[in-house]
Amino acid sequence: MTFDPVQFVTVGLNGLTQAAIYFLVASGFTLIFGLMRTVNLAHGSLYLFGAYLGWSVGAALGKTAEAWVVAIVVAFVGMALVGFLMQRLLLGWMAGQDLRQALVTIGLSIIAADLLLMRFGGVIYQFTPPPFLFGSTSIPFAVSGQYSTYRLFLVAAAIVIGLLLWLLLTRTKLGMIIRAGIDDRHMLSALGVDVPRVFLLVFALGAGLAGLAGVLGGSALSISPGEDARYLLSSLVVVIVGGMGSLGGVAIGAVIVGVAEQYGNFYWPYYAPLVTFGIMAAVLALRPHGLRGRPA
Amino acid sequence: MKRFATRRSALFVLALGLIVYPLVVSRFWSVTIGAHALILGIIALSLIFLAGYGGMISLAQTAIAGMAAYAVAILTVPRLPQQILAIPDEPHWPAYLAVAAALLIATVMGALFGLIGVRSQGIYLLMLTAALGVGFFYFAEANYDFLGGHGGIPEVVSPIGYTSQNPAVFYYISLAAAVALYLGVRYLVRTPFGLALQGIRDNPRRMRALGYSVGLHRIAAFGIAGFIAGVGGVLTVWYNGSISPGTVDLTRVIELLVIAVVGGLIFPEGAFVGALAFVLVDTFASSVPAIGGFSFRERFNTLIGLTFLLVVLFSPNGLIGIAQDLTARLRRRRSAPPREPLTESLSRVGRDPASAHADPASEP
Repeated sequence: MTFDPVQFVTVGLNGLTQAAIYFLVASGFTLIFGLMRTVNLAHGSLYLFGAYLGWSVGAALGKTAEAWVVAIVVAFVGMALVGFLMQRLLLGWMAGQDLRQALVTIGLSIIAADLLLMRFGGVIYQFTPPPFLFGSTSIPFAVSGQYSTYRLFLVAAAIVIGLLLWLLLTRTKLGMIIRAGIDDRHMLSALGVDVPRVFLLVFALGAGLAGLAGVLGGSALSISPGEDARYLLSSLVVVIVGGMGSLGGVAIGAVIVGVAEQYGNFYWPYYAPLVTFGIMAAVLALRPHGLRGRPA
Repeated sequence: MKRFATRRSALFVLALGLIVYPLVVSRFWSVTIGAHALILGIIALSLIFLAGYGGMISLAQTAIAGMAAYAVAILTVPRLPQQILAIPDEPHWPAYLAVAAALLIATVMGALFGLIGVRSQGIYLLMLTAALGVGFFYFAEANYDFLGGHGGIPEVVSPIGYTSQNPAVFYYISLAAAVALYLGVRYLVRTPFGLALQGIRDNPRRMRALGYSVGLHRIAAFGIAGFIAGVGGVLTVWYNGSISPGTVDLTRVIELLVIAVVGGLIFPEGAFVGALAFVLVDTFASSVPAIGGFSFRERFNTLIGLTFLLVVLFSPNGLIGIAQDLTARLRRRRSAPPREPLTESLSRVGRDPASAHADPASEP
């Protein structure tokens, strides 16, 4: 196969699109992990559940642009509520037992996958994004000079959401409390902060981000059973590469993993997963806590 | 003395039962229930060896078993399917060579995974091995050069033919492997290596100060677990008569964890108890009548998930833990000294030794 620079650019753009979805999913994962040391192995299920929920709402409202926006909001709020309940009813009272929490979330993910399969079946669902995002935009050097507008929008959306999260973490009182909690939970509670309440808020926020990513990502690709495992795996790899609990690390990890995956799929299809895992092993060998991570 | 004698006769009855079993039951009971439970138990044993004695929970054991299974399939199948592109002539090795190669691959890959994860502990290791394990599924699914992609490799026949032709022989092979590995693990944990491994589980910092190489012990443990999982993988491919990515997907990874946790994550015998319980539920959930429109045949995974959740929430030591609690309670009634129930296990296994607050000696 001869090297085609135009193809190279388009595959790179696909990589950035993938990176944008990975960032949205994994940022919630890393927020939860960074603050609570809870590995939420049901995070992929929240992505899929959010996508299905958004799709149902969108379909009920009639597949218009407004319905699509409502679907995003409903997916975010709905999954935030699910995350809130998970933390409130199950994970909250075993704080500190990180392994047990991980096992509980695995149990939840089995049940969620099965019940979603019961409700939505094995078929593939597709969203209808608003018309002004539907076409293509001219991009120099891409294949036939065009690239999907929606995918470009997705990258922009991920950057905006990333900036909002960054502002939340660095410029607000809540962000200050969260960052203090990531560094030392015990000291934070000694200072009189209601740590369990902060945990609930952050768990809801992280879960909500997964639901939001479900609709945004599901609109770029599609939603079907098995996506939960895919996004759980990508969240794990992204935070392992980028460093756990670090927002910047997630951004770097998502770009590396997303782009490497798309190039691997294109140029070396039978061995593409090895590219991702080679990168992961190399990062761990050089920096055991990930590129931007710090020792726990 | 009397307790010892009771124990010995109980063991004798158990051994006799296991040996006579395939001679008195149908093929269904000896292979689909018996051998299947033994094979799942072997793979779960590799996880329990790592978790119970090394304090390392690995979700990559399913993948390692899968690698051994793929190796046997590629090396022995007389006619590889069309979609495999890279092998013009089938190797068609004799079974004993293929099995040896498969076990070598499993051991080396186990050690390699251990090397990748050597500096990660507790929950970090769980995430890393989960990524590696599920990653192998995606690799098997994508690879049409050697592994046959989505369809995998069909028609893998064991040296004794299909399991349906010789159910009792297949059961005995599985039983022999399971017993040998179980006794091997029981022996290994009493050797200096096994004791050092348990020391590292409890306090790596102290063991390092005593001059032990923590990393090498961990990698070796992963290699041994890889070998155990490899045996399970070889038997799996013979049991199924084929291998495909579906055998190593996330559902299977989680199933193995369910088996290990339900059996009690720290007892080698728990692997087989958990596997038997799982196989029985797996097989007979379909015959439980539907309750209020909720059919267990269709919602089998919900049933499994709920069971798993209940075990994790209420009995961290699994079924073996429940049995021990019961016997301890019975003994107490007979005013014998109570045996300490092992309820600490899960939190002990999960504790990140680097940040353990429980041990003042490990604080800087």
